[in-house]
Amino acid sequence: MVLLDIKNLTLEIDISGGWVKALDKINMVIHEGQIHALVGESGSGKSLIVKAIVGALPYRWRITADRMTWKGQNLLTMSVSARRKIIRKDISVIFQNPINSLDPTLTLGQQLKEMLPTDKLSKLWFWQRKKEKHALAVKLLHKVGIKNHQLCLDSYPHQIASDVVQKFMIAMALASEPRLIIADDPTRGMEVTSKTQILKLLSRVNQVKNMSVLFVSHDLLAISSMASYMTVLYCGQTVESGELHQLRKRAFHPYTQALLDSAPSFRKDLPPKSPLSSLDGTIPTLHHLPIGCRLGPRCPRARKECVAIPQIRRVHTHFYSCHFPLHWEAK
Amino acid sequence: MVNVLLRYLNLVVVTLFILSLLSFLLAYLFPGQAVENLTGLRLDELSTLQNNQLKYAIDDNVFVQYWYYMGELFAGNWGVSFSSGLPLYEDIGHYLPASIELSAYALFLSFFIGLPLGFLAALQHHKLTDYGLLSVSLLGYSIPVFWLALIMILGFSLQLGWFPLSGRLSLIFEIPSITGFILVDILLSDSIDKQSALIDALRHLILPTLSIAIVTTTLILRITRRSVIETLNSEFILAAYARGLTPRQVLMRHGVRNALIPIWPLLAMQFPTLLTNAMIVESIFSWPGIGNWLIQAIYQQDYPAIRAGMLAVSVLVVIFTMSIDLTIRLTDPRRRRVGRAAI
Repeated sequence: MVLLDIKNLTLEIDISGGWVKALDKINMVIHEGQIHALVGESGSGKSLIVKAIVGALPYRWRITADRMTWKGQNLLTMSVSARRKIIRKDISVIFQNPINSLDPTLTLGQQLKEMLPTDKLSKLWFWQRKKEKHALAVKLLHKVGIKNHQLCLDSYPHQIASDVVQKFMIAMALASEPRLIIADDPTRGMEVTSKTQILKLLSRVNQVKNMSVLFVSHDLLAISSMASYMTVLYCGQTVESGELHQLRKRAFHPYTQALLDSAPSFRKDLPPKSPLSSLDGTIPTLHHLPIGCRLGPRCPRARKECVAIPQIRRVHTHFYSCHFPLHWEAK
Repeated sequence: MVNVLLRYLNLVVVTLFILSLLSFLLAYLFPGQAVENLTGLRLDELSTLQNNQLKYAIDDNVFVQYWYYMGELFAGNWGVSFSSGLPLYEDIGHYLPASIELSAYALFLSFFIGLPLGFLAALQHHKLTDYGLLSVSLLGYSIPVFWLALIMILGFSLQLGWFPLSGRLSLIFEIPSITGFILVDILLSDSIDKQSALIDALRHLILPTLSIAIVTTTLILRITRRSVIETLNSEFILAAYARGLTPRQVLMRHGVRNALIPIWPLLAMQFPTLLTNAMIVESIFSWPGIGNWLIQAIYQQDYPAIRAGMLAVSVLVVIFTMSIDLTIRLTDPRRRRVGRAAI
């Protein structure tokens, strides 16, 4: 069953008078029970997509899409409160910066209990409910691997190590028992042990509860260890998406290939002391976006035709948008 | 906690020490003999007194003099006024509460108007209400206090005759001074006409309070507005929206508290301005407060009175500001000590 279906999502930002397309025709489909990875460099608009899905965007920004549906209901045309209800019930976000996305003046316990859905409580009176909420909160904390639950619930966000806060954020995301968890770079800046713990936690949630996960990251190793489907983003455009093993075996888009090559641990055939490959240049700023295919100026295969936006082509479940894809040479 | 208290206590003691030192030095900096400026007695009076009852340490060095000066300060023996000959300690004890009363009412009034309006402006950011409130506040902020007070007298007292022109209470009421705060004193007194005295006192209060409160209100409005806008744009508010909370829940549970925290220290900093404005307004409305009294003292070159009055007012400001700072420091959860135990 398709949970989230996004077609041609465009987000425009007003930068000193001119409207700039920060996201340009994004396509993404998330199925139930799937771990979907969203990959891209810093500044490619990954977090913007997340914010656009949950509607946490400044109201001055313009957002348009041919289709943006949640289980068939159109998210863009429905009322704000209906959309909020869907997000409250079915979608949870784990933010990039866990400490900043928590209220600094409330204890973690108060914030976690705020997220527990009231209709799932069975007791009637508020003192019974209080007890029940506490029990649920403790259970959630144990689920994500926080043992010292009382100390955690009584602490303020700044008093706790960042990896524990990130686990706590996952507990908060699980509190409403959503259908989709959006993890926006949950392992940023973590050392390997806590990173593995968090990734394991996410895949276990996916397997046990059949929750879908939209995993936003640029960590290819983490993605390949858990995701089944991958969408590659460059500078606000989806360049390629498909089953992870297919993409790894044979990428069609030059950018995907460059991305895979840039991770040395991905390449088994890398000889010792050979230079590491990377694309020349950097990702363009919003003020200087190239027209057409935005990879153009950096692309090793760019030609005259690349100033036009390439059409989306598909091979089975594998979508790409490039004028001169890599597999054409093989023919 | 104890650590913080000790630190603030230390700070207050050092500041007060410097203030007392300054007030002592003033006696030397003012024209005339230092001993005259410290006691308020002329040299010829002193020499007659010295022979029979009074001893003073004019021949000792400055440090010993300061030591004696502090001893007399704490004993409540602040000297007498040049002009009236009355003891300064009793005088200040009588006039200072009147000023505190006026400033306190003005401060409360500004809070009750400024805070909600500031929230309103911030919630309507970039809309007509916001711009309207902002321009009105700019207007209120730019009007000089002394001019505003005069205009109020002109309009409400002379033209319309709604409120009395000056003073604190009509002369027909006889209220004994117990606390120095007129409203409290009226309530405590067993006068036959308590209610009409109260109404009369309130009518006397309205114009001076308003003239002080308008500037402070606009200040509070602007500070509140800025702080609320900044808080509502912060990441955790966006995150709270992304968790599917309603705007009302977000504002009440997360917005208000976080917006108020940065407001308090800024307001504590406005207190000296408020007191200065109160002093100006007092002399216009002939309010029997410390400001009026000090300005009279300056006119009459009453050096002992200037010295004692300035010391009293500055001590008040320091203690008030410090206690607000301390309260913020102790109640802000963001500054709470990090627990040592691992989770």
